[in-house]
Amino acid sequence: MNESNGSSEFSRRAFLRDSSFAALATMLGGVRLSARAAEAEQQTANPPARKVKVGLIGLGNWGRELLDQLGRLPQADVAAICDNYGAMVRRSASKAPGAAQTEDYKTILDNKDIKAVIVATPTHLHKEIVLAALQAGKHVYCEAPLATTIEDARAIAQAARAAGKVVFQPGLQLRCDPQRRFLLPFIRSGALGKWAMIRAQWNKKTSWRFTSPNPDREKAINWRLDRATSLGLLGEIGLHQIDQVSWFLNTLPLSVSAFGSVAFWKDGREVADTVQAIFQFPDQVQLTYSATLANSFESDCETYYGSDAAVMIRGSSAWMFKEVDAPLLGWEVYARKDAFYKETGISLRADASKLKAQGDQGRQEAEVVDPPVYFALQTFLRNAQEVGGAVEDFVSLYGDGDPKALAEHLAKEVHKLPAPDYLDGYRATVLAIKANEAVNSGKPVALLPELFELA
Amino acid sequence: MNKHLLIKSASLLLLLALPLQAAEGWTRFAPKPGLKSKVRIEGTSTIHDWQVESPLVGGYLEVGPGFPLQAGAEAKPGKVEAKAEVFIPVGSLKSLKKDGTPYSTAMDDIMYDKLLKATHPRIQYRLSELTLKEAPKKAGDPYTFEAVGDLVVAGVTNKITMPAQVAVLPDKKLKITGTVNVKMTDFKIEPPAPKIALGLIKTGDDVKLLFDWEIVGS
Repeated sequence: MNESNGSSEFSRRAFLRDSSFAALATMLGGVRLSARAAEAEQQTANPPARKVKVGLIGLGNWGRELLDQLGRLPQADVAAICDNYGAMVRRSASKAPGAAQTEDYKTILDNKDIKAVIVATPTHLHKEIVLAALQAGKHVYCEAPLATTIEDARAIAQAARAAGKVVFQPGLQLRCDPQRRFLLPFIRSGALGKWAMIRAQWNKKTSWRFTSPNPDREKAINWRLDRATSLGLLGEIGLHQIDQVSWFLNTLPLSVSAFGSVAFWKDGREVADTVQAIFQFPDQVQLTYSATLANSFESDCETYYGSDAAVMIRGSSAWMFKEVDAPLLGWEVYARKDAFYKETGISLRADASKLKAQGDQGRQEAEVVDPPVYFALQTFLRNAQEVGGAVEDFVSLYGDGDPKALAEHLAKEVHKLPAPDYLDGYRATVLAIKANEAVNSGKPVALLPELFELA
Repeated sequence: MNKHLLIKSASLLLLLALPLQAAEGWTRFAPKPGLKSKVRIEGTSTIHDWQVESPLVGGYLEVGPGFPLQAGAEAKPGKVEAKAEVFIPVGSLKSLKKDGTPYSTAMDDIMYDKLLKATHPRIQYRLSELTLKEAPKKAGDPYTFEAVGDLVVAGVTNKITMPAQVAVLPDKKLKITGTVNVKMTDFKIEPPAPKIALGLIKTGDDVKLLFDWEIVGS
C-alpha cells in the first residue's frame, strides 16, 4: 500500500484526541494504548491459520533468517527450499523438514501447489528469478534492494505492476513493523513541531567477508564486497532506514551527498566499510546517515528532531524527548519513562503503558519482541492468501477471460494488510543505487522526481 | 494423439459442454462481470449486530417456456418449469461494519472455520420447485415466486421455502431478490463465541440471508 497522500490523513488534532481518549481509558480500565494490543487480543480468539505453500529461493545468511521466521509463522507451509549451491540447501534442510530441496529455482516455479515464493538471493540475481516467478503466477516477496541497476529495478516493478493477480511485496520490512506503523501517524501528525533534521545509523563490527575453499564459491558469496554486484553499506543495509525516513516524512529526497572509506577492513576490498551520507529533503530538512563495519557502539537507531520534541527509534522501542517549551499532549504524563544519561525519554512503545509497566519493568524489558521481518512475511502470506482466494472465487464464477473485471473486483473486494508495494520497492531501490553512486563517485547526486516514476 | 483418444476427448468435451446448453424452448441465465449481485448474512450478538457480504453469486437459472421473459408479460400463477443451481464461495464472504467498511480479518477466519471452508468451500443452493404466486399489478413491478430448494451450508443440507421477487429487466436480464431466515444450528454450526477484547461475545443462532442476483440470458 502506498501511503503517499497522507499528511492530511493524520491530523495533529485527531491524533491528540485519540491518544487522550486512550490515556483516559488506560486509567479507567487498563486498556492498553496500542494497535498491537487490540491485534493481540483478537488473536486470542485463535482462528485457525490458513496456510500458504511457499518456496524460499536463496539460503545465505539472510535467507536462513527468513527460513527461521517462516518456521515460526502459522501461515507458512514451506514446501521447497532452493539455493544454487547444494551445500547451502543441505545446511538448511533441518530447518524445513518435509520441504523439497532443489538447486534449480525453476522446479519451484513449475510446482503448481506452491503459490508464493520468497527471493533472497544476492541482489544482482533477483531480476531473472522474480520475472520468471511472476510469469509463473506466483506471489513474490523480493528482498530489498530489488536490483543493482535502475533498469533491472524498473523491469521488476513493471512486471509486478502488470501481474494483477498476485501480490508483490518488496522486503522493506520496517514498513510492516507494528512499532513503526504505530509511530507513523504520530510522526506525521506534526506533534514533534517543525522538522529540524533526522539522524540515522547502523553500526556493527563484522567483516562482511566469508571464506570458502573453492575460489569461485568465495567470489560468489562475497558479492557484497564486489563493486560490480554490491550497492555497499548504504544500498544493502542503509536503504531500510533511509526508506523509513521517506515514508515517515511522506516525501522523497532531492539530492544525496556521500562519503565512504575502507577505514578498518583493509583486505583489498573496494567497497567502503564506513560511510556517511546527507540526504536533502524538501523544506530544508536533512537526513544524516552513517554506517560502519568497524564498530558496534549504539548499533542501529533513527532519531527525528522537531522544534517541539525528538523521537528516537531503536529496534522495536521508541522514546520521545520533549523540549521544555513544547505544548502538553496530555497522555505523556502517564506514559512510562526511561532515563538516558541527562535526558528522560517518554516511551512510545506500541504495547507499553505506565500501568502495564508498574512493578513489572524487569519482565517487560525481557520480553522477546518479534523482528520486523516476521511481520513483513506474515503480512505477505496473509495478503497472498486474500488475493489468491479472491482470484479463485472470481474465476469460479466468470472464468478468467476478463482481466479488467477481475482487477476491479480485486480493487474493491480485497482488503489487504498495509504493506509496501512495487512502487515503494522501486523508489527505495533508486535511493539505494543513487546513494551508492554518490559514495563511489564522491560527488553529490541529484534525485530528480522523474527518477522515482515508473514509465 | 491416437484416434481413440481423440474420440474419447471429443466425447468428454461434449459431455462437459452439455450442461451449458439449455434444453429446447428453455432459456439459460447466468451471472457475468459487471452485473450487480450481492448476498448478505445478518445476525446478532451480545454486543452488536453483525453482517457479512459477498458480491459473488455464481451458478445458473434455466427457465421453461412458460416463464415471463418480457417485463409485464402475462403469466398465470402456478408451478413454473425451472432449474437452478446457485453457489457462493465461502472465502468471498467478508465481515463488515455498519457503514460497510471491513470489520476484521480475524472474524472472517472464525467464520470460515465455522463454515468448514477447507472441506466445503461453497454455500450451495439447488432449486427443486418454483411457483408463481403473483404477477405484477403494474408494468415494471417484479413477479413474486415461491422457491423450494436445498440449501447446503458446511456440508449440511436443509430444504427451505422462500419468497423470491423476479424483476425482468431490459437486455435479457433478470434480477432475483429474496430473503430467508435460518438457524445456524440447523446446519450443525455452533454459534461462534470468540473471546475478544473485554470478554466473551456470543452470537445468536438466528441469521437472515438476503440476496440480489442479477443474471443475463444467453
